[in-house]
Amino acid sequence: MTGRLRQIWRSMPLRLAILLVALFATVSLLSLAASYAVTQSSFEQTIRADLRQDLAGFRAAPTARAVALLVEAESRAADPNRFILSYIAPDGRIYGNGAIARDDKGFHIFSLNPDRAEFDGEYLSLTEALYGGVITVARSRVEIVALRDVFVNILFISLLPTVVIALSGGLVLARRSKRHVEVVSTALDEMTSGDLAARVEIGPRWSDDLVRIGGKLNQMAAAQEGQIRALRGVTSDIAHDLKTPLQRVALYVQDLQDRVKDNAQAVELTARLEGEVGNMTRVFQALLQLAQVEAGSPKARFEEVDLAQVCRHVVEVFEESAEASGHSLALDLDVESAVLQGDRALLGQMVSNLIENALRHTPAGTAVTVRLGLHGQTAQLQVVDTGSGIPVAERQKVLQRLYRLDRSRKTPGHGLGLSLVEAVATLHGARLVLEDNNPGLRVIVTFVT
Amino acid sequence: MKLLIVEDDATTGSYIARGLREEGHAVDLVDNGREGLIAATSTAYDVVVLDRMLPEVDGFTILKTLRGAGFTTPVLLLTALSEVEDRIEGLQAGADDYLAKPFAFGELSARVAALARRPQALEAETVLRAGDLEMNLITRKVTRSGVEIDLLPREFALLEHFLRRKGRVQTRTMLLESVWDIGFDPGTNVVETHVSRLRAKVDKPFERALIETVRGSGYRIVA
Repeated sequence: MTGRLRQIWRSMPLRLAILLVALFATVSLLSLAASYAVTQSSFEQTIRADLRQDLAGFRAAPTARAVALLVEAESRAADPNRFILSYIAPDGRIYGNGAIARDDKGFHIFSLNPDRAEFDGEYLSLTEALYGGVITVARSRVEIVALRDVFVNILFISLLPTVVIALSGGLVLARRSKRHVEVVSTALDEMTSGDLAARVEIGPRWSDDLVRIGGKLNQMAAAQEGQIRALRGVTSDIAHDLKTPLQRVALYVQDLQDRVKDNAQAVELTARLEGEVGNMTRVFQALLQLAQVEAGSPKARFEEVDLAQVCRHVVEVFEESAEASGHSLALDLDVESAVLQGDRALLGQMVSNLIENALRHTPAGTAVTVRLGLHGQTAQLQVVDTGSGIPVAERQKVLQRLYRLDRSRKTPGHGLGLSLVEAVATLHGARLVLEDNNPGLRVIVTFVT
Repeated sequence: MKLLIVEDDATTGSYIARGLREEGHAVDLVDNGREGLIAATSTAYDVVVLDRMLPEVDGFTILKTLRGAGFTTPVLLLTALSEVEDRIEGLQAGADDYLAKPFAFGELSARVAALARRPQALEAETVLRAGDLEMNLITRKVTRSGVEIDLLPREFALLEHFLRRKGRVQTRTMLLESVWDIGFDPGTNVVETHVSRLRAKVDKPFERALIETVRGSGYRIVA
């Protein structure tokens, strides 16, 4: 689940959507902030102008007594929550609906009623000396405070839906493009696993660039299919052309053997001939099989195969010949069974080739061990010997077809055994590693179960 | 037995035909698919040996046509491509056995014999016998002249295989396929070793040898 989320998160349309939303949100926020600042300052200027006008009105009164009466009268009509005025007369009496006091927390405005309640809220005030007293007018900033709420509302009403819509649009697009990309990637997987007929099924609502990529992929696959089919045709033609003469030679040799029974030298020669024909046939069949496995086509025959069972079986077949050549062949199974999807015959041949290889290229007295263990999601097959190993520089080369180490030139074999092991491993999506066993060779094949 | 060989290579065809005739079979040889199909549908043969690649009508088509028309004659398919893929295709198309070129004549002869005498249904035998040798399939006891012989499981399976095909040659590859269930050549002497161990237990202590080596072909148990 988290994997899928990460995949969507990393998809291009969603990232584009997020980027656009972020850009849009930043620009909107900046422009809202700017207009808020402008509006606020113009509101404040208006209030200050009003206050100056208020004071000018009081200044028009001729005496302190007149100012006090005017303040009394106006304060009675004024709502102290919006407009406060007070006049401290020269005799110390206070007129009006509020007074400004100051302590270490700042300015406070109090009611002049007997309760002396403090007015809550922000005010702008102007104070002036008048006729020996002090007149103060203050107007509430409540409109400006309200303005802030208005702007916050605008922010939520305009920005939030945009963000939500853009993001979910991006998500929908991301999921759609993920589906389309998955179609392409599934087709690619099928192609690489040997399904020559696999093609990208282009949907009617795909975007142009995907349609183009899909089309190109299909063209490529078709070309590849054609080439491989042609190659297979050639291989099977060669097989037919060469096997018929080989078959004739084999029959002639048999005939010859029957006719020269009485001549000891001829018997020996014909026996050697028979052996050589057999060798030619084996190389030939190994090459053909390798070509077929590498073409990947047998994957259609995959079934559930127990690798542990295969190991037991093949080791049993080799027990006697290992004993005869002075080797010790051991089976070391960590698990009762290791089931995977595969080709039973090819997997058997792989284990068989590895054991045969170890027995053939190591001296008598060498221990050969076939090991099988499960590690998490993987099954690890190891064929380990304590022989002389393969020099690091040669390890990749021994996987090449017909390659043989200099020191092995005189031992029998055709140099195709490990190539087939590698081809079978690749066919099963397994990893083949040759390692030093200090001393000896350790061949590790890691399968995903 | 009456056999039909459909093989386009004249040399191979005539060698096989000659060899099989020497073994006492009546053999018809044709060298193309058309004639092969006509012959196979107009004469009752015990076994048809069919080459996979033929001029005009190929072996596969003949095989499918025969099976489609309800002919159950056992067919041994010969092929140049020896690999598993072809083998499976061939068996799916209705071949009873499969032999890769180049083959030794002994192998062909043994497989033809095996096909011809393939039991229609497995008989529910409980005791298999050859001379004074007795194998009880229920108690899994083997005795010869009343003396009990102790066999390992694989030796028992091998002896059972021979006894069920008394008198018929079993080649190394046939034994690998049926007794060891291995469809490829592992390049070991596992068959030879087991046969010689079996001989040491079954034949050596007694006067007459029951397991016989057929030179260039394989082994059989004497009836």
